[in-house]
Amino acid sequence: MLETDKLTKQFKDTIAVDDVSLVLKRGESVGLLGPNGAGKSTAIAMISTLMKPSSGDVRLNGKSVLKKPDDMRRVLGVVPQKIALYEELSAYENLKFFGRLYGLSGNKLEQRIEYVLELVGLADRKKELVKNYSGGMQRRVNLAAAMMHEPEVLIMDEPTVGIDPQSRNHLLETIRKLNRDEGMTVLYTSHYMEEVEKLCDRVYIMDHGKVIAEGTKEELKAILSDQETVLIEFDQNYPELFKKLSEIEGVQHSTIEEQSLKLIIPRGTRMLAALFHEAERYGAQVINVNVQTPTLEDVFLRLTGRKLRD
Amino acid sequence: MKAVFLLQWRRFYRKPMLVLAMFGLTVIFVSVTAAGGQSGPQMTPVYADESMSELQAQRWLERLNGGDQFQFELMAESEARSYVAEGDVSQAVNLLETDYRLLVGREDPARFALDSFLRRIYSEELRLENAEQTTPGIRADMESSLADPALTLTVESLQGEDSFQYNGQLQLLFGMTLFFVIYTIMFSLVRIVDEKRTGTWSRMIISPVRKWQMYLGHLGYSFLIGFSQITLIFLLFRFAFGFELGERFWLLIAIAACYTFSIVALGLLIISLITKPQQLGAVIPIVATGMAMVGGAFWPIELVTNEILLAVSKALPITYGLQALTSVAVYGNGVQAVAMPLLLLLGFGSICLAIAIRLMEWRSAS
Repeated sequence: MLETDKLTKQFKDTIAVDDVSLVLKRGESVGLLGPNGAGKSTAIAMISTLMKPSSGDVRLNGKSVLKKPDDMRRVLGVVPQKIALYEELSAYENLKFFGRLYGLSGNKLEQRIEYVLELVGLADRKKELVKNYSGGMQRRVNLAAAMMHEPEVLIMDEPTVGIDPQSRNHLLETIRKLNRDEGMTVLYTSHYMEEVEKLCDRVYIMDHGKVIAEGTKEELKAILSDQETVLIEFDQNYPELFKKLSEIEGVQHSTIEEQSLKLIIPRGTRMLAALFHEAERYGAQVINVNVQTPTLEDVFLRLTGRKLRD
Repeated sequence: MKAVFLLQWRRFYRKPMLVLAMFGLTVIFVSVTAAGGQSGPQMTPVYADESMSELQAQRWLERLNGGDQFQFELMAESEARSYVAEGDVSQAVNLLETDYRLLVGREDPARFALDSFLRRIYSEELRLENAEQTTPGIRADMESSLADPALTLTVESLQGEDSFQYNGQLQLLFGMTLFFVIYTIMFSLVRIVDEKRTGTWSRMIISPVRKWQMYLGHLGYSFLIGFSQITLIFLLFRFAFGFELGERFWLLIAIAACYTFSIVALGLLIISLITKPQQLGAVIPIVATGMAMVGGAFWPIELVTNEILLAVSKALPITYGLQALTSVAVYGNGVQAVAMPLLLLLGFGSICLAIAIRLMEWRSAS
């Protein structure tokens, strides 16, 4: 339905997006994963016809949208990273305006406003000014505004940044409902791995402007199929012990998180004896040892050498 | 475009304070300040030099009161000085036999008009006295000829270049109205910058609405809010405060429309050059006050003698706005007299608009 072909954007000496090719099939939910500065927002700006690419193409149903963006604009709903609303107006007034932009009027406009307000759970507070809403409620109106014209494709640029867990869950549930129940095609960008794991069928991983991996969640995790993750929790942080453990033969990658140590090791490696031996030598108390199957976070770590939220 | 235009009015409904403040400031400033002024001629104390006889002084007084621009009152020097010292009048005139002196208490734009008037009357009178020495009876002949002219010639200036007439009330009304409306218009245009900052502008770009429709929605609102402010103030001062705005009120409204257009365009140009709302908060007052000072909103441009300032004033829309309004309301001129300033306002606006939109688009593309 929607595809990009070798999309590139260069700002003076910086290449923000480099040769990115994505495909979104109708009804699919696709994640675009990457740390801050990976080029996700720039890619989205080009896909949504907001920014012209330096080279490459964006196609909707096989037709390029770069010269004639109208078709794309009619079917596309974009939820920006910023709260792009008029805060001195109410949610109802904001939605009325965004509906009018797409030619809605009269009863149809009113019905659509009611529907999207119900969808985001703000029907009973529609008359309140947006500036008086919590961050989570503002995010929900941000989504509702993109839904006013019944878009076929919904692009979301980190829509859950800075909101409380309750609003985040509500938002994720809404998106899941739109995708599964209404068949809406979704492109979801985030640096929250668990959101992408929860929502998306397929994932593109971006770093430094390039797509470095793509596939279903299972396909990506298979990259680490011969490995496992060992999470060891201690009673406190032992920098020297952690360094020593990271150097044990077979450890491919290690991450320190406060008083925990995460090690990626080849599947079947026998290292527990060495672990407890070293812990005893340093007088450290092991509280918990957990052997996990790899997550997308681990995949990202393996591919880029850094964490998503670095 | 309609959606963007209607949105601005909804936002005005929610946040009307800025516009109301500018409207209120104009009304308060003009009504309070103009209360001290009069639309008719102000009394100017006159005292005669010791060398003059009372008869000579009376003759000069009659001559000076022959016009309706000033009203002179003969009194003792001490009384005239007291008027000036207490600030009841700005200046008094000391009559000499063949000359005059002005006793100035405070700077007043009317001084220049008074000086110009006295110079003209003295020069006419002295020339006549000289002519009487060679041709006795010439004064009587001239007076009878003036009373019963062979033909009547009406002179009307196309450019409104009549001799300078100062009307303090209207100078204040026009100056302050055109000055404060700059704030209303330019701060309403700051919304474009604000929309770009918050991301609602991008949301509109990726909707089916065209960019020119987005601009037109904003500019249309700014124009209408500025134009309404000027019109309402003129109506208020004409009907509630009884200001004499001349017989061609409709022409004043047409001038207001052209001026508003030029300020909307200038505002957009400034916004295209300076993109940060914080910087605009500083730049707009500087531009508005600077334009008002040089363009003649605070005092008549006719009083400015500095060649550089006069040259700069030619590039400012407020100069032409004030010139056109004064021409119609004070001098009673018609469309022909204000055609040139109006064309200049429209031309200025069109050029600013074209540059501003190109600049904005170029910035967003890069």
